[in-house]
Amino acid sequence: MINMIINNLEVKAEEGWTILDACHFYGLEIPTLCYNPGLSNYGGCRLCLVEIGKPPNSKLVSSCTYPCEEGLEVHTDTKRVIQARKMMIELMLSVAPGSKVIQDLASKFGVTQMRFDVRNEECVMCGLCVRMCAEQMDGKAIGFQNRGYKRKISTPFDAKSKVCRECGGCMYVCPACQARCQGPNAEDPICNACLQMDPTCVDVYGEATCWMYDAGRCGTCVRPEKEELEKKESMSE
Amino acid sequence: MTNAKLLSFDELKQKIEQESLKKEPRKQTVLIVSAGTCGQARGSLKVIDALENAIQKRGLKDRVAVKITGCHGFCEAEPNIIIKPGNLFYKNVQPEDAEAIIEETVLNDRVIDRLLYKEPETGETKSTGPDIEFYKKQMRIVLGDNEKIEPMKVEDYFAVGGYGALAKVLENMSPDEVIEEIRKSGLRGRGGAGFPTGTKWAFCRKAKGDKKYIICNADEGDPGAYMDRSLMEGNPHRVLEGMIIGAYAIGAGEGYIYIRDEYPVALKHISAAIKDTEALGLLGKNILGSGFDFSVRIYRGAGAFVCGEETAMIESIEGGVGVPRQRPPFPAAKGLWKKPTNINNVETWGNVPIIINKGADWYAKIGTEGSKGTKIFSLVGKINNTGLVEVPMGITLQEIIFDIGGGIHKNKKFKAVQTGGPSGGCLPAEKLDLPIDYASLIKAGSIMGSGGMIVMDENTCMVDVAKYFLNFLRDESCGKCMSCREGTQRMWEIVTKICDGLGEMKDIDLLEELAEAVKDASLCGLGQTAANPVLSTLRYFRNEYEEHILRKKCSAMVCREIVSAPCQSACPTDQEASVYIALIAQERFEEAFQVIRKDNPLPSICGRVCDHQCESVCRSGDFGEPIAIRALKRFVMDWAIENGKNTLPIQKSSRNNIKVAVIGSGPAGLSASYKLNLLGYDVTIFESQAIAGGMLALGIPEHRLPKSILNSDIDFILESGVQLKTNSTLGKDFSIDDLTDQGFKAIFIATGAHKSMKLAIPGETAEGVLPALQLLSQVNQGKEVLIGANVGIIGGGNAAIDAARVAIRNKNTEKVTILYRRTRKEMPAYEEEIEDALEEGIEIQYLVTPIKVLQENGKVTGVECIRMELGKMDQSGRRSPIPISGSEFTMEFNTIIPAIGERPDTSYIQKSDDIKTSQWDTIVADEETGTTSRENIFSGGDVATGPSTVVKAIGAGKRAAESIDRFLQGKPIAKEYKLSRPSVYIPPVQLTEEEIEDAHRAEIFRLPPEKRHKNFKEVALTMTKETAVKESRRCLRCELETKDGKNALGQNK
Repeated sequence: MINMIINNLEVKAEEGWTILDACHFYGLEIPTLCYNPGLSNYGGCRLCLVEIGKPPNSKLVSSCTYPCEEGLEVHTDTKRVIQARKMMIELMLSVAPGSKVIQDLASKFGVTQMRFDVRNEECVMCGLCVRMCAEQMDGKAIGFQNRGYKRKISTPFDAKSKVCRECGGCMYVCPACQARCQGPNAEDPICNACLQMDPTCVDVYGEATCWMYDAGRCGTCVRPEKEELEKKESMSE
Repeated sequence: MTNAKLLSFDELKQKIEQESLKKEPRKQTVLIVSAGTCGQARGSLKVIDALENAIQKRGLKDRVAVKITGCHGFCEAEPNIIIKPGNLFYKNVQPEDAEAIIEETVLNDRVIDRLLYKEPETGETKSTGPDIEFYKKQMRIVLGDNEKIEPMKVEDYFAVGGYGALAKVLENMSPDEVIEEIRKSGLRGRGGAGFPTGTKWAFCRKAKGDKKYIICNADEGDPGAYMDRSLMEGNPHRVLEGMIIGAYAIGAGEGYIYIRDEYPVALKHISAAIKDTEALGLLGKNILGSGFDFSVRIYRGAGAFVCGEETAMIESIEGGVGVPRQRPPFPAAKGLWKKPTNINNVETWGNVPIIINKGADWYAKIGTEGSKGTKIFSLVGKINNTGLVEVPMGITLQEIIFDIGGGIHKNKKFKAVQTGGPSGGCLPAEKLDLPIDYASLIKAGSIMGSGGMIVMDENTCMVDVAKYFLNFLRDESCGKCMSCREGTQRMWEIVTKICDGLGEMKDIDLLEELAEAVKDASLCGLGQTAANPVLSTLRYFRNEYEEHILRKKCSAMVCREIVSAPCQSACPTDQEASVYIALIAQERFEEAFQVIRKDNPLPSICGRVCDHQCESVCRSGDFGEPIAIRALKRFVMDWAIENGKNTLPIQKSSRNNIKVAVIGSGPAGLSASYKLNLLGYDVTIFESQAIAGGMLALGIPEHRLPKSILNSDIDFILESGVQLKTNSTLGKDFSIDDLTDQGFKAIFIATGAHKSMKLAIPGETAEGVLPALQLLSQVNQGKEVLIGANVGIIGGGNAAIDAARVAIRNKNTEKVTILYRRTRKEMPAYEEEIEDALEEGIEIQYLVTPIKVLQENGKVTGVECIRMELGKMDQSGRRSPIPISGSEFTMEFNTIIPAIGERPDTSYIQKSDDIKTSQWDTIVADEETGTTSRENIFSGGDVATGPSTVVKAIGAGKRAAESIDRFLQGKPIAKEYKLSRPSVYIPPVQLTEEEIEDAHRAEIFRLPPEKRHKNFKEVALTMTKETAVKESRRCLRCELETKDGKNALGQNK
């Protein structure tokens, strides 16, 4: 067993646990988005940040990837953690204001302003779909392309996937696909109230969008630019 | 020569000895040519061919050899040649020079002067490398061998004792002893984070694992940094030797060199080096019979910045996408293929053999407490000597930039230095004294990084710099973490918005908040430091952000959307220079005149004596010569006067019968009156002198500004309806309250700065000491002035030059000498005025300061002076003069004219007036609006700012008039700033090929010196029509490059 201190409590953790595992075990709530117990831990959304060590040498780490270590001191709710976490939610809202999951996070953690230009990409690159496909569905049909701000999720070479079985697992885990509060062009980027609970994804996009589009199915993670879409259409004709 | 496999330590040692003995050139003369990537780009391969041809042609093959080495570090001099024996250093050698080098220097021992290096600061010529300041302060323990080695020849490396450290380690030292030696040396990782190398090795050695790896990080990705490339190109065996020693110490059997594919030369050299060492048995199984096995593989990176991060590099070598991993587990425990792995940077590996050879104690003596040894920096940017510099830790930025780097390019002012690449920070002039080591740089808000050092001058906009690095980072972030991917993108968006002039103050707060979050929340070093460009520029250059947002100005004239045309943006009067130049180019002179007149109340004067900020920011001057804007303006004004077009239907607002008083009829007072009059006010100017014009009439000599010109501008204003009362002095003839009683609703005080400063040395009161301003005003008013035959002027400003040129025109004066305490480079007087003065026979003594006025019977006989030398940079970015003790000497003069500056005389202000003045006797007034501590009193020009330029006073007058108008109309006084845009967009002219080829600045003709003798004829002559049109066509028309400009022209078509 590993001895640790979480929020000033002396706790024991099992070998191989992450800090998030330990927090869950002791009933401490930590917000997550790209985390799914059935998939490998990724650490991309940075919502599960906790502060480790003693100030001024303390630092923030993603609890879902950081292993429990002997004597580690963890704080889950310091001002620094809360500020960073709120900023992450604000950034997510700015690109995927249509996601109910993210809107709920905003409500829950008191994010009341969104100061960036809305970009309605409806994807926060949490990678759940990629891991779902690879790890649970044994598909490996999709993955990340490019880096930096150009990063996107797609099939290799944007071609129609031969290994995709159209199982829909990707959509099942997608925080943006699941349910949508308002339309993709919400007037107010923060709803802070559950206006409606219907999944509007299909209504909104019709037949648009991602690799699933090539397969004749809808998904909203990837929206090719309009021209690209038209090009594809003309090619398929 | 074949390289047979070396089977034992003795064989290796013999080999080293054998090669070292050959060190003396087998041929008489060796020409060492730098041919790294940068040298090759500058044509060194062609130079080599040309040299070899020249040698061949003369049959000198047995006597003269050409040695092709890696980079010598001195980019500015590339391609350079060192000639042995003698170390003669030739810079920027061209293939055409080859014949001369062989014929003159090699065969006849003559030095070719034009190929020698000249110091940018002093102009001194240096013939050998070690004499050059660039090399003098360096300590090239790692890079130094580059000059001695042909990188493709392992024998050359043996010849400098190469692989000696390896022999020593394998024969006599245990792995733990090696680690201890490295630990004791204090070597820290040179790749950026600065982790102690010995400790890192120890972790990896102690880690459990059946197999261990070492990696050489050669994925150098910082823009403008090329230390690692240069070392691998120039001395690949040094890096390999370091790696073999490290592998032995750690117990690694395999090593990788992760090198970016953009480095083909480095790749070629390191590959050859691996092949050679394998053949020699220094890599492979049972190295030198020691039982130690080690092999090295090369992994070529595809050029992702993030792959320089160690875990991303491991991921990449394993075949995955270069995305960082969570640490812990650290690579030392679980790295490549989940085995213990040690990663060090090229430069770190390169230091290892040196430490083993010379000992940890020797190494630890170099540097500071926490940072040992030397560091290679790539010194780039706006600096005279760009290049790779290797310096001991603890050297100051000042020494690197000004001593080694030779100062700022084109003599501009230093603004900031960016260290540590995109993740680093920008340090301002206050930090020049900072000794460079890991800790001090972090404390100052930057990092050592891998050693990039970008020097920025006054023409660099720090907001734009932040934007540049953010753009790089948003591209190079791997994109995994929300914080880094979206954070860098959003920071870039905000900064771009500010650069486009659309920022708001709350954007700065958001930027700071976001920056902190990105720094805190990101997984790897890239994200954690991605906010540094923003945070460090906000820390030291917040005023620039605020300037962009609040005043819609970019002083560095970089941000295109804000600046539009730099000439217009820089002009205090908002003169649309690029527009009237465009009109001149189309010979539409009358329209040009109207554009000039519209914004400038004193255009003829400005056309002659303005300090033309517009020309110093002109983009044509960036890579060529600036447009002669002032002369073009003068041309238009002279044309208008000559052709009787010097009138403009004045569009006056209807009279509002509100009275405004203006005190002082200098440029500030005149422009305020003119503008107020146009706005409908009844303006009266009160002038204490008998004539109007203030400093224009009293201080500027007639040879620069003829009376007729001055009066034509003043008359224009008076004719527009402004009242002038001369001989009425505030404080003597009337008081502020009198004016209020007479019904003046607002008062603008612009009394200038007319009180001469004292020298504050003994003997100043002697007869024959005459302040410059007194001389100038008396001569200007046609009064007799008694000055002697031998005149000494003290000072280096425009007043000093003016006084000198007036003095030399005096009938009794034979000799005029100016004494200035700094050098010509620091002299504040206008360059062309200094030139003119020298032409007229005036002598200037630099680095001299008077300490005592000598006198006999109360009359001046001379001055005692002391010589000065230039010391460190002061806050103004100029080197401050320091007296050299014991260097006192005397100079004889009949008249001494101090011209060391003026101050305003504000003794007319009564306590009851309730107008605040400063300790410099200036009136405290808002620079932008002219408001003072009393509600209806405004002030501007020299009386508020201290002595400044004519055009600044005109601008202050104009701005004050606008705020007086807002005040009297009951509107908020604060000015609302808009992006500067021209009132009309004129389509550009098409240039012919020849015009583009021959785009030189028009020469301004001046009266030859003999025609200026003892008279006050105007010296500068006006341009001809042809010259003016030709010059105008050269204009780059920057205002058309904004979105507005492009749109406007799109519509015109």
